[in-house]
Amino acid sequence: MDELLKIENLSVGIKSPAGKVQAVRDVSLELHPGEVLAIVGESGCGKSMLCKTIMKLLPKSAKIESGKIIANGVDITNYSDKDMRRLRGKLFSMIFQDPMTALNPTIPIGKQIAEAILVHEPKLPKEEVYNRVIALMELVGIQQPHERYKLYPYNFSGGMRQRSMMAIALAANPKVLLADEPTTALDVTIQAQILDLLKEIQTKLGTATILVSHDLGVVARCADRVAIMYAGKIVEIGTAEEVYYDPRHPYTWGLMQSLPALNKGAKELKTIPGMPPTLIDPPVGDAFACRNEYALEIDYHEQPPMFKITDTHYAATWLLDPRAPKVESPMGGKRNV
Amino acid sequence: MSDILLDVQHLSHVFKLGKHAVIKAVDDVSFQLKKGEIFGLVGESGSGKSTVARCIMNIYKPTAGKILYTGLDICDRLEFRKYHKMLEANRQIIFQDSTSSLNQRMTVADIIAEPMHIHHIKPPRGSLRAEAEFQLSYVGMDSSYLDKYPTELSGGQRQRVAIARALSMEPELLVADEPIASLDVSIQAQIINLLRHCNREHGCSMLFIAHDLSMVEYLCDRVGVMYHGKLVEIAPTAELYANPQHPYTKTLLSAIPIPDPIAERNRKRMDFDEITFDRDGVLTEIAPGHFVLRKEDLE
Amino acid sequence: MKKNPFVYYGKKALVFLLSVFILSVAVFYISRLAPGDPLMSYYGERVEKMSVEEKEAARDKLGLNDPIHIQYIRWVENAAKGDFGISFKYKQDVMEVIGQRIGFTLILGGIGFVLTFVGALLLGVLCAWYEDKWVDRILCKGGTLLSCIPEFWLSLVLILVFAVTLHWLPSSGAYDIGYKDDVLNRIEHLILPLIIVVLQHLWYYAYMIRNKLLEETRADYVLLGKSKGLSKKEIMFKHCLRNILPSYISIMAISVPHVVGGTYIVETVFSYPGIGALSYESARYHDYNLLMVLCMMTSILVIFCNLIGQIINEKIDPRIKANEVVETSEVTKV
Repeated sequence: MDELLKIENLSVGIKSPAGKVQAVRDVSLELHPGEVLAIVGESGCGKSMLCKTIMKLLPKSAKIESGKIIANGVDITNYSDKDMRRLRGKLFSMIFQDPMTALNPTIPIGKQIAEAILVHEPKLPKEEVYNRVIALMELVGIQQPHERYKLYPYNFSGGMRQRSMMAIALAANPKVLLADEPTTALDVTIQAQILDLLKEIQTKLGTATILVSHDLGVVARCADRVAIMYAGKIVEIGTAEEVYYDPRHPYTWGLMQSLPALNKGAKELKTIPGMPPTLIDPPVGDAFACRNEYALEIDYHEQPPMFKITDTHYAATWLLDPRAPKVESPMGGKRNV
Repeated sequence: MSDILLDVQHLSHVFKLGKHAVIKAVDDVSFQLKKGEIFGLVGESGSGKSTVARCIMNIYKPTAGKILYTGLDICDRLEFRKYHKMLEANRQIIFQDSTSSLNQRMTVADIIAEPMHIHHIKPPRGSLRAEAEFQLSYVGMDSSYLDKYPTELSGGQRQRVAIARALSMEPELLVADEPIASLDVSIQAQIINLLRHCNREHGCSMLFIAHDLSMVEYLCDRVGVMYHGKLVEIAPTAELYANPQHPYTKTLLSAIPIPDPIAERNRKRMDFDEITFDRDGVLTEIAPGHFVLRKEDLE
Repeated sequence: MKKNPFVYYGKKALVFLLSVFILSVAVFYISRLAPGDPLMSYYGERVEKMSVEEKEAARDKLGLNDPIHIQYIRWVENAAKGDFGISFKYKQDVMEVIGQRIGFTLILGGIGFVLTFVGALLLGVLCAWYEDKWVDRILCKGGTLLSCIPEFWLSLVLILVFAVTLHWLPSSGAYDIGYKDDVLNRIEHLILPLIIVVLQHLWYYAYMIRNKLLEETRADYVLLGKSKGLSKKEIMFKHCLRNILPSYISIMAISVPHVVGGTYIVETVFSYPGIGALSYESARYHDYNLLMVLCMMTSILVIFCNLIGQIINEKIDPRIKANEVVETSEVTKV
C-alpha cells in the first residue's frame, strides 16, 4: 500500500499517582500522501497524545503498550531517540498550539529556522542556509523576511509567530506535518489565515497533514478525512463529507448538535449530558454508553468494533450492527451535494 | 422609568506604559444595554472588550466618559459611594478563567454564599448553605458538590459554580467576560443554554463578551464589534450577520469557520488591512438600530 | 519612549549615594552606642591603671567626648578630604591597615567566588542532564546535607582532619613565617579556607541552576526543538542553558557580597589575615574609625552589586523589550 503512515492498534498508557491513564486505546489509522486528516475530539480524549506518540515526544511517564507505528513502510515503534532524531523534521514535523511558548524567546526567528535546516544538512554553506530561510519565510507568508530574520519572537504578532513555527516545521521538507491545535491560541481572523496557509502549503508541497483540533468548524475548512476521537479511541472516521453530512456515531451527532451554527433559531442547544469518563479505569463497554441516549444493553458489556459503512467510512457503535434497532440520525437527511 | 439599564457614554480607558507612551485600550465607546437584553461584544484579543467590562464593573476607573447604570453615574465617586451596596449586589461578573477567579481554598458552598454573606442578605431559604444548594441545583449540579474545592471540579463545573455565585444575588446585570472560551464544545453549549435560561426566565440582562462569533449569533440580541479600542459597528444580531457594513466586521464574519466542509472550502475569506483602519469617524445610523463607524463626509 | 541614559544612571547613582549616607549614619551611631570602652583598643591593658582624669583627657584627645552628631560631621569632613582617621588599635592610618589586609581577602573571596560560580554551573547542568537518575539524586541529597552543616563547625572538622591528624595542610594564617614570597606555601594555606567558602554557597546556586534548567526543559520550545530533530545536547546547551545564563549572571552579581561575606567567618576561624578577621577585631575592640571604614566598604560592595544586578536584570528582561515593541506598533503618543 502507499500509505505514508500506518498506525495499528496503538495503545499508550501514562503513569500517574492515581493510576495508569489509558490515554490512547487501540487506535488504528492510515495517512496517505498529500491528504489532510483531521482528528477531532474534546480535551483529554487523547488526540494530542496520539500526535506526540507518532513523533515519540512522549513524557517519560508515558509508554507505548501495544500496537505498531509504521512510517514509510518501516516499523518505527521501537525506535530509540537517536533513530527518531533522523526522522524528526525530515519525515515528520510538528506544529504546536501556542506559538509564544514553542519558540525560544531569546533566539532570533531566522536563526531558529536556520537551525532546523542545519540539523539535517550541517555542512550547508551559510549563504545557502540564509537563502533557504528567506525562501521558507516567504513560503509561509512572512513579509519583509530580510528585515524580520533578526527579530525575536516577542517582536511578532501571534499569527506571525505561528507562521514562523510553520517555517521551522517545513524546513527539512517533511512528508508528514502534525499540527496540534495550530489555531486555538489565535484570533478568528488570524485563524482563518493560518488555516488557508496550511491548505495552501499542503497543495503546494504535497505534505500530508494530521490536523488535531477540537473545533469542527476549523476542521471543515481544510480536512479531506476526519477522525472523531472519544476517550482515547477513534469512534468514527471517514471523508469530511461522510462525517459531516452522514455522521453515524451518537457522539458525532452530539458534537454537531451542540454547534450553534447548525442550530440557528433553536430554542436550546443540544448538549451531551454528563462528562467523559476518566481514563484511569475506563468502562468495560462503550465509553460513551452512559452519555448516549441511544445506548443499547450491549454497549455496557462489550466495546463495539469498527463497523464499515463505506470503503472509507467506519464508525464504532453497536447501532450499526445488523441486529440493532433502526435509529434515525437526529441530524436530519443528507445534504444534497 | 426608562428601559435602559446601562448607558455607556464616550468611554475611554488609557493604559500608561511609561511616561510618554500610552495604549488607548478603549477609545470613545458608547452603547446602551436595554433591560432584559443580551448584548454581545466581539473583537480580537486586545481590542478592549474586557477593559469595557471592567470599567462597567468599577474594576478600572475610566480615563474619560460616563457609565450610567439605571441613571446613576457609577464613575462618579460620591454617587458610587452612596449606592455602592446596591450596585455591587445588582451587577455580577463571570470571568473566562474560572481556575484563577475562584478561591482555591474555599468550598463550593462558601464561594456561592459569599456575596450574600458580604451583603448581609438574609437567605430566603433559611441558611446560606440551603441557598448555595439551591443555586447549585439551578446551574445543574447536585448537592454532593457543596463541600468540594474548585480544584476537584472540571472546567465546565467550575464555570457553573462561578455562574451560580453570580446568580445568587439575582443580579439585574450579568457581565460575562469570555465565559466559554476555555471550555469544550459540548460544555460550551451547556453554559450557553444556562445563560440563555437566566435571561429568558429571570430577565437578567447580560453583557456577553466573546470571540466565538457563532455563539454570539446564537445567544445575543444585539452585537457590538470592537477593533483596536473603537466600537466600529453595532446592530441587532440578525441584521449584523446578514448585512455587515464595516470592513472589519465583514472580515470577522468571513473568518468564522462553519462546520460544513463543502461550503467552507469554497468560501472566500476577506482580509482587513490594519493600515486602512481609520480611527476617526462617528457611529452613523444606516438602518434602524444599525450603527457603523464612518467619516461624516461620506454621507 | 526613549530612556535618557543620564537620567537612568543618574537615578541609580542617587539611590546609591542615599543608601550609603543612611548606612554611614546608622553604623556610626550604633557602633558608638554599643557598650564597651574604645580606650581599651588604644591603650590596651593600661586603661585599667588610668585615673578618671587621665581617661577623660584621653577621650578628649580622641574626640570621643563630643556629641555624636558633632563627631559624625567631623568624620564626614575628614572623610571628604580622604582622611578616615587612625586605627585606635594599630595606631596607623585606617587605610594603611586595610591596605595591608585587603589583598588576602580579595584572593580568598575572588577565587572562592569564581569557583562557586563555575562549580555551581557545572553541578547544576550535570544534575539537570541526569534528572532523577542516581547521579542527580546523590548530588541533590548530598548537597542539601552539606549546605545544612554550619561552616564554623565544618572548618573545625577540616582543621582536625587535615591539619591536626594528617598534617597535610596548615591550620591557620596566610603563609608560614619566612615563606612570605613562596606561592606554593600560600596556596597550601588557601586550600582549607577556600573549601569552606565554596562549599558554603556551591549547592545553593547549583540547585538553583538545576531547577531553572529543568523548568526550561519543560518549555514547549524544547518539544519543537526535538521535532526539528535536535539532539538532547543541542537543546540543553544551545537553547536551555543559553536562556537561563543571563538571569544566572545577574543573580551572581547580586550574590558577590553574599559569597565574599562568607569569607569573614572563615577568616576568623582560620586566623587568616584578611579584612574579615580585621572587622571582627575592630568591632570587638571598639576601633571606631576602622570599623566605620570596613562597614562602609562592605555595604558599598553590597549596594553596588545589587544595583549592578538590577541593571543587568532590566537589560535582559524580555518583557521590557516587549513593551518597547508595543509602543512602536499600537501606541499613540501623547
